[in-house]
Amino acid sequence: MKHKEKNLFKSRKRKEMAVSLISLIIIIIMAFAVLFPIWWIFRTSLMSNAEIYKYPPLFFPSKFRISNYTKTLEEFDFWKYFFNTMTIIVPSVIGGTLTATICGYAFARLRFRGKKFIFSLCVGSMLLPTMVTLIPLYIMWTKGLGLVDSYLPMILPYFTGGGAFNIFLIRQFIMTVPRELDEAATIDGAGRFRILTNIIVPAIKPAMIVVALLIFIGLWNDLLQQTVYINSEAKTTIAIGLTNFRGALKADWSLTMAATCMSFAPGVIFYLIGQKYFVEGIVMTGMKN
Amino acid sequence: MSILFKKSKRRRSRMSIKEERTAYLYLIPAFMGLTFITYLPLLGVFGISFFEWKGISAPRFNGLDNYIKLFTRDHFFIDSIKVTVYFSLIAVLGSMIYSLFIAMLLNRKIPARGFFRAIFYVPYVLPATAVYIGWSWLYETNFGLFNYLLTKIGLNRVQFLASSKLVVPSLAVISVWLSGNLIVIFLAGLQNVPRIYHEAAEIDGANSWQRFRHITIPCMTPIIFYNLLMSLVTNMQIVVPALSITNGGPGNASMFMTYLMYRYAFLSNQIGYACAISFIFFLIIAIFTGILFATSKAWIFYEGGD
Repeated sequence: MKHKEKNLFKSRKRKEMAVSLISLIIIIIMAFAVLFPIWWIFRTSLMSNAEIYKYPPLFFPSKFRISNYTKTLEEFDFWKYFFNTMTIIVPSVIGGTLTATICGYAFARLRFRGKKFIFSLCVGSMLLPTMVTLIPLYIMWTKGLGLVDSYLPMILPYFTGGGAFNIFLIRQFIMTVPRELDEAATIDGAGRFRILTNIIVPAIKPAMIVVALLIFIGLWNDLLQQTVYINSEAKTTIAIGLTNFRGALKADWSLTMAATCMSFAPGVIFYLIGQKYFVEGIVMTGMKN
Repeated sequence: MSILFKKSKRRRSRMSIKEERTAYLYLIPAFMGLTFITYLPLLGVFGISFFEWKGISAPRFNGLDNYIKLFTRDHFFIDSIKVTVYFSLIAVLGSMIYSLFIAMLLNRKIPARGFFRAIFYVPYVLPATAVYIGWSWLYETNFGLFNYLLTKIGLNRVQFLASSKLVVPSLAVISVWLSGNLIVIFLAGLQNVPRIYHEAAEIDGANSWQRFRHITIPCMTPIIFYNLLMSLVTNMQIVVPALSITNGGPGNASMFMTYLMYRYAFLSNQIGYACAISFIFFLIIAIFTGILFATSKAWIFYEGGD
């Protein structure tokens, strides 16, 4: 009897191992499939045009033509575009994270009249697509406030709490911080702002990093607003620069791919540095709502 | 006793007035945002949509003309609704199935799980414009990777981005590829499904499909709902591929609603008309999210029977 049970246990264990092994194999294949497009773009960026039109195609470049990149840089002013993009992103990320924290704190901890109403306005605006309000905002910024060919229309909205979603995220996090900590600090004579900076902020740092990353990715991808608000070559961002570069030399795929790879690079580098926060952070957005 | 009580009450109310002041002070950014970035512009879209406004000249009230023209004479518009909904349908369903599948595999006892999770997430951190331009090369008709793979397995070359039939599914595949964030959220959700449920079911003789169907899926419904909502709102707003590679073509096959709105507002200066499109776009998304929320009570399972 006991022997039989042991066998059953063994066979179950073996079955589990087999399933795990199959899963691992599928995962490895899928991981290759996911990375393969990136590899293909990268290998194209290192090849001559004669090489990329070969049939069957080469999976590895015969030699690494770094010269493609120097040639691309003559037309595609990457460093300028990168600097310009960062000029939008850095203040937005700082402003968005700080104001979202302050507003999230007020919603999580302070009592005031109209809280429910204001909070529901906030939650309601979360589902409002940003595309809907683009035209009136454009009129307000350019015709109303004269901000033509300026980054401010993209930056300033982030100083209003960084979007309802971010305020909500921060609020949810602050609610998980034990109130006793605040109360203890109040007894010690700390004011609201001291509590916020000395107790709340250290406790919700991961959430603040998530907000910063979400703002970063949002701006990084936002070709539409950049196209709408920026008109001059001097203020061109990576996204616009790349679109123009492709349009200018439609058929030169290796140079276009070199420019594409350069545009990939900052994202990949930030990701490698902050991988932990990127992944954990996105988990938080899903778990806390 | 009662005096003391009164006094403390008065003191508390003074404190709460102070608290209220602090709260309003801290919420100034949110007030500004809700007023000037969200709700006034929304009213603005609605208001401007009843005007003919060519940008330079003064706006002229024309009642429902914009809406009538949209639904009766503008075939671009009707096409754009179809294209956007069609695209969102494939992209959302594709992303959900793909990411749940990968998350379930990652949830097995496999080595280097964190490493693989990080790999599936990579596409999400790449700038969208570069992604679409990179993929336009993979989709290239004569020398692109995918057509090479098709010929390799004995099929004919197809025009992924240059045929009106395939352009939307091809772009939706890119959206699926980009959905690494959903995988990460799903995986975290799966790890929160209590193991004990699975063990109990296994003892009762449930096979793995039954366990998936009756334990995993019900426990995951709140996460599925969240991912569905986010994925829907993101994919409905698709515009970058049209701006960077297809220009809405071939024909109107990738004329997404936001791109059409952009063209009318910023390329041909029909601001009132574009606002009418924006408002319809708003209504469509509101209807979809409304349906999701309305049906959510029926299919979302909250632990603890709430």
